[in-house]
Amino acid sequence: MKGKYHVIVQNKRLRYEFDIKRNITIIRGDSATGKTTLYAMISLAARMGESAGVDIQCEKKCRTLEGPDWKLVLPTLHDYIIFLDEDNQFLKTAEFTAMVKESDNYFVIITREDLPNLPYSVEEIYGIHTAGKYHDMKKVYNAFYRLYSVEELSGKISPNEIIVEDSNSGYEFFDYVCKEKGISCGNAGGKSKIIDVLRASKGESVLVIADGASIGPEMNELFQYMKKCPHTRCYLPESFEWLILKSGLIDGNAVRDILQHPQDFIESQEFFSWERFFTSVLVQYTKNTYLYYTKHRLNKAYFHEKSKRAILEIMERVVALS
Amino acid sequence: MLNIVFGDIENSIYHPPTYFDNQYEDEWITDPLSIEMIRDIDQSEVVSAHLIESPVLGPISPREISGGVKTLMLMAFDDSGKIFNASSCGDNCAKWIVDISTRKDLTINLHHVLDFSTAGVFEAYMVNTGKTIHSYEEYLDEAFQIKER
Repeated sequence: MKGKYHVIVQNKRLRYEFDIKRNITIIRGDSATGKTTLYAMISLAARMGESAGVDIQCEKKCRTLEGPDWKLVLPTLHDYIIFLDEDNQFLKTAEFTAMVKESDNYFVIITREDLPNLPYSVEEIYGIHTAGKYHDMKKVYNAFYRLYSVEELSGKISPNEIIVEDSNSGYEFFDYVCKEKGISCGNAGGKSKIIDVLRASKGESVLVIADGASIGPEMNELFQYMKKCPHTRCYLPESFEWLILKSGLIDGNAVRDILQHPQDFIESQEFFSWERFFTSVLVQYTKNTYLYYTKHRLNKAYFHEKSKRAILEIMERVVALS
Repeated sequence: MLNIVFGDIENSIYHPPTYFDNQYEDEWITDPLSIEMIRDIDQSEVVSAHLIESPVLGPISPREISGGVKTLMLMAFDDSGKIFNASSCGDNCAKWIVDISTRKDLTINLHHVLDFSTAGVFEAYMVNTGKTIHSYEEYLDEAFQIKER
């Protein structure tokens, strides 16, 4: 599945309204915000149709998935938005991960567990809040909000150390920039090791650069670490490849169009997470040009002043390095 | 005293809200501790053992209170010896977990790092590492070392 879908779930007392635009969306947050109620309403509507008294408006079919026969049911579902509640212990199994990866459905998962096997985006972790009441004061309107906002994570910082999740081209680029600026640069060797590297760091002011498209499973712990160590900030673009595409170095309307609404180009069955899509776009659009891109070793053309400046300008809209 | 165990363990109830629905006692609902927790977390008022007034849902039964409060009530009142998964609790339940642990020895199971930053000063024994922590900062230091989730 690809695309962005507006979902309205409502009965006489409650209305939920939100958009789903990636293969994996996570809902968590405080108790008593209405997560289980939302799930129960969707479950009722999927089971009983109109006679449930729950109205679901969405271009795609919405349903829940639970119980011991999930393995039999899931392969039969196509083009659905599937909601899963936290009581399903199978959510953290490799089997579930493999099925999500191959699926042409979108998944909305209610859980506080990190689910490290699933590469979900920092932008798709939501809480639910009451956004208001309707004029008759009887119906409560609930909406999603992002749990981790750019403002809370980033901000102006003069880091004396940068930790890059990536150990390939992204790390090479930032290592080069850091050497020029006299900043220490290290690579974590994977998103799951960021916390360990941060804890071992001696830096007084540390900036973490990681792929926002798949950093979701680390966010709860990373965010709590940042509360404890407020001189740590995060810059979480979709990926390093997205940063290059966004910099304007690769000219063309097609790339601009993709960046404006990537969800309309990214088939969930083909790309488990968005950073893989942006890598494929960058490789495709730089092929046979002086900016040809490979993930494992960075083309020296990206170290040239003009290229470097263009990439850093995008980054410095969110975090300042100097 | 609060004991915290990360990861899968025996005798643990993975989804306490379901267990609560099938095991709760009427007198739990009207206990002053439950009344306070339901008021704080759910912003709802206990009318009787069978009726709670929710500002959003209207009159509801105990089966419709939040999963977080159901889990807290099991921690406070269940005497079966089961250990309850506190990952069913939002961060707004953390202070109540600490409160309950001052009334009785309480062991909780976690599958994520629950945010105790609003729980005030607290002490807990981290079963996985065998260390006692005395603050949120010490709790985080220990929790980050534990790989079990």
